[in-house]
Amino acid sequence: MTAQAAIALRGVSKRYGRNTALDGLDLEVAEGEFFCLLGPSGAGKTTTLKTIAGLEQPQAGTVELGGADMAGVEPYDRGVAMCFESYALYPHRTAYDNLASPLRSPRHRLPADQARERIGEIAELLGIGALLDRPVGRLSNGQRQRVALGRVLVRPARAFLLDEPLSHLDAKLRQAMRAELRAIGAVRRTTTLYVTHDSVEALALGDRIGVIRDGRMVQTGTREELWHRPYDTFVARSFGRPRINLLPGTVTPEGHFRSPDGAYELPLAVPAAPGTAVQLGVRPRDIGIGGPGRTGGGPPAPERTGGGPGPERTGGGAPGLELTGAVHVTELLGRATEVTVRIGGQQLSLVAPRAEAAGLGPDHPVRLSLRPESLLLFEADRPARPGRRIST
Amino acid sequence: MKRKLLSAAADLALIAYFVFALFPVVWMVILSLKPTNELFSTYFSFTPTLDSYRTVLGAGDDQGVPFVRFFVNSLVVSLGAVALSLVIGLPAAYAAARWRFCGSENLMFTLLSFRFAPELTVIIPLFVLYQKLGLFDTYVGVVWVLQLVTLPLIVWIMRSYFSDLSPELEQAALLDGYTRKQAFFRVALPLVKPGIAAVSLLAFIFAWNNFVFPLILTSSNAQTVTVGALSFLGGDRPKYNLTAAAALVSVVPPLLLALTIQRYLVRGLSFGAVKS
Amino acid sequence: MPGRTAPAPVADHGAAAGTEEANGKRAVRAVPAWRRSLRPYLLIVPALLLTGGILYPFGLGLYYTVFDFAASKPQPDLVGLGNYRRILTQPAFWDSARVTVAYAVGAAAVETVLGVAVALLLHRSSLVGRVLEKILILPLMIAPVIAAIMWKLMLQPSVGVINHLLEPFGLGGVQWTDTPTGALLSSITVDMWVYTPFVAILALAGLRSLPASPFEAAAVDGAGWWFTFRRLTLPMLWPYVLVAVIFRFMDSLKVFDIIYALTEGGPGDSTMVLQIRAYLEAIRFQRYSFGISYMIVLWAVVYLVTMVLVRYLGRIQNRAAEVPR
Repeated sequence: MTAQAAIALRGVSKRYGRNTALDGLDLEVAEGEFFCLLGPSGAGKTTTLKTIAGLEQPQAGTVELGGADMAGVEPYDRGVAMCFESYALYPHRTAYDNLASPLRSPRHRLPADQARERIGEIAELLGIGALLDRPVGRLSNGQRQRVALGRVLVRPARAFLLDEPLSHLDAKLRQAMRAELRAIGAVRRTTTLYVTHDSVEALALGDRIGVIRDGRMVQTGTREELWHRPYDTFVARSFGRPRINLLPGTVTPEGHFRSPDGAYELPLAVPAAPGTAVQLGVRPRDIGIGGPGRTGGGPPAPERTGGGPGPERTGGGAPGLELTGAVHVTELLGRATEVTVRIGGQQLSLVAPRAEAAGLGPDHPVRLSLRPESLLLFEADRPARPGRRIST
Repeated sequence: MKRKLLSAAADLALIAYFVFALFPVVWMVILSLKPTNELFSTYFSFTPTLDSYRTVLGAGDDQGVPFVRFFVNSLVVSLGAVALSLVIGLPAAYAAARWRFCGSENLMFTLLSFRFAPELTVIIPLFVLYQKLGLFDTYVGVVWVLQLVTLPLIVWIMRSYFSDLSPELEQAALLDGYTRKQAFFRVALPLVKPGIAAVSLLAFIFAWNNFVFPLILTSSNAQTVTVGALSFLGGDRPKYNLTAAAALVSVVPPLLLALTIQRYLVRGLSFGAVKS
Repeated sequence: MPGRTAPAPVADHGAAAGTEEANGKRAVRAVPAWRRSLRPYLLIVPALLLTGGILYPFGLGLYYTVFDFAASKPQPDLVGLGNYRRILTQPAFWDSARVTVAYAVGAAAVETVLGVAVALLLHRSSLVGRVLEKILILPLMIAPVIAAIMWKLMLQPSVGVINHLLEPFGLGGVQWTDTPTGALLSSITVDMWVYTPFVAILALAGLRSLPASPFEAAAVDGAGWWFTFRRLTLPMLWPYVLVAVIFRFMDSLKVFDIIYALTEGGPGDSTMVLQIRAYLEAIRFQRYSFGISYMIVLWAVVYLVTMVLVRYLGRIQNRAAEVPR
């Protein structure tokens, strides 16, 4: 047994009437870790946080904080701070009073002057120092969100639970706050469970990321693990914009991937039973256009383009694979261009630097280059069960 | 042109309704200012006098109707009924809004059925019971029975106010380090204060305006204005001017209160079924 | 707890406040699940007691109905369902039932139509309307019994102001409350005077909360006023009006104050609604068991009608909620 986890959920189930919010959820967050919980809406993210905070009682499973079972422990005795997606600010009080609320409570009381100092620091940090006297009702959504975040940061806590704390900010402010959040000392040193539906945010912030779906944890890992070794197509699809290409096909007797119309075959690095229906996953940024010499690299750094985690380039060991097709459409994405290419009956999208895609128009023949190690092989999707990745 | 005519016709129709709605009150004012000797001889031209008010609010008339006492009684039992209903009804309304527990809907429906139950179903047995228990013609007895009027109102409306309040506010307070009791008193209660004020006033008005409970369950000690106003009509010579003055005096408190809660009336009158 | 890693150094401030918690000095109490589930019940205990206190006399009343308890008979005998049998075979009961229903249907219908009309007129928010709206609630806040007294003074055949005002039109000398039909219509008029604002206020709130877009679309399509009213306003307003109608109908079924003060059930039995008859039987004639039996019958009817109407309202409101806004 390794060091005790700061937060540990084991087999937690929560039903509301006939709806199942959590279905045997397992989760471990290490001490001091910044853990991002990623999932679509309705996956059970908020319920997870509320269960940890003690605001919801699970029907099955255990919640442990710092190794102690929290069953029946009141929220105010758990020592966690939570930022609600709805802000949950007290609308009848000022921003200052909202920030001061935890420091006036019997559990976290600070003398008034110390509290004022502390609130001043936090407000400064969040850039809301000038707004403290305003009633919450007269703040913009972005300002409210920062006050809500401040109410969490202002108090001591064994863990921060943050529920989409940046969701209501506009794109620019969100990016700035994202960088700030990582920089804020308190967040960096305190165990933080951060819930988001935005994969870019998760990749940018999380030491580790957990992908949740239908109340179950699909996969947890570092951003590299999730990017390069996704558990299934659901996880693979969760990261990267444009989305990963998932090409259905079958495995030939020689162990190659063959598209349904036989337009192309590609050798596979992983062994798969011949004849099985599979999906070939290849990320748009892993496809090069033109000749083998101009093959594109791995995923670019997330902060710059919001694409994926830092590249894990393999210095051109294996020989490149080539495909030929025709351009279907091109779409400008700022400095890069998304090119959709037809190969037989299938479409494949890729991202190329703007200069390389410059002269491309519909029906232009192109040659695509792929690196074998960047190919992912998945089982075919079944209803309500995304195809798992096939690995050695 | 046609549009203008239609608009004028609509305004006229409105004015006609409001003449109908206001005339009785205006007529009561006129009647109450009439001296007794001109009561039946004139309609609109007379020498106005405040004698009727003096009689009603003074020592009482020759038959000794203690109207001031009725007025005080109304005040006491209405306030008492509202206070008791608030103390009992607020926790119940909060529980019904925040928890889905077995029996909560039954309780709410039972309370609603009190609102619609014919009063006499309960009063007649109470009439017998009160005589035995010594509660007949007492404040306690009237306050108790007025719960039929005030409690359903307060529970139903306050539940709708509490339901409108996001539970996450109280959850945030719990995580801030407050206990559930503190979360209720420091967060939930201040936020529904306007609702409490409005529903209290409305409950007061309904309690004040109630007639059938004090009619049957009081005689002289705890009798209220609604019953008392009728007593001027008795006797061999009906004193219309005194009746009018008494009627007007008795409607002053509810009218004043009603003006202050107009904004909240809709939800109150519909038991929370309609919000505005 | 040996082997336990020290919990996080808590934030970067308030060492005192932080360490206390970090060291877990404070006893952390676990609340067992059964106590947690008890919480809402503790909150409603007082209300339950009070409800019990009100249900007790009701139950007691039910118990009385199987006896022939009366002031003249303090040692009652068990008569089983005799009281009910007697009531249901009495023509007087059926007369009262008829009068009650006529009153309730008449009052509720008139008030609904007039109230909705007033609401529509006020919704135009002309200058006149804005001024008048402020005093709309006035009659509603006057105790019904006081309202009835006021109208009684005005309707007095010989010296009442109404007949005086009608005289120039050759309509004087109407025996308002002294003829059977006149008495019923007069009572309904008082009811209407008091409660039309109730319907109007709810309907007006409804009108003001209707979404604008369907009306804008209808206006663009050039729909006429009547079409808009029939096909848009009325259907969307109906849930609001229905709340008012239910309240008015239920309340009129158990009318007491207005008739007690205005006619006391007369002349003859022409306005002898069920609650008045029960009052006379139980209090005036002190035939307690018999009077209560009357009320139980009325209560059962009101209860059933409430159930049906409330269920209907729920359906209507659900349907209205489904309409995309």
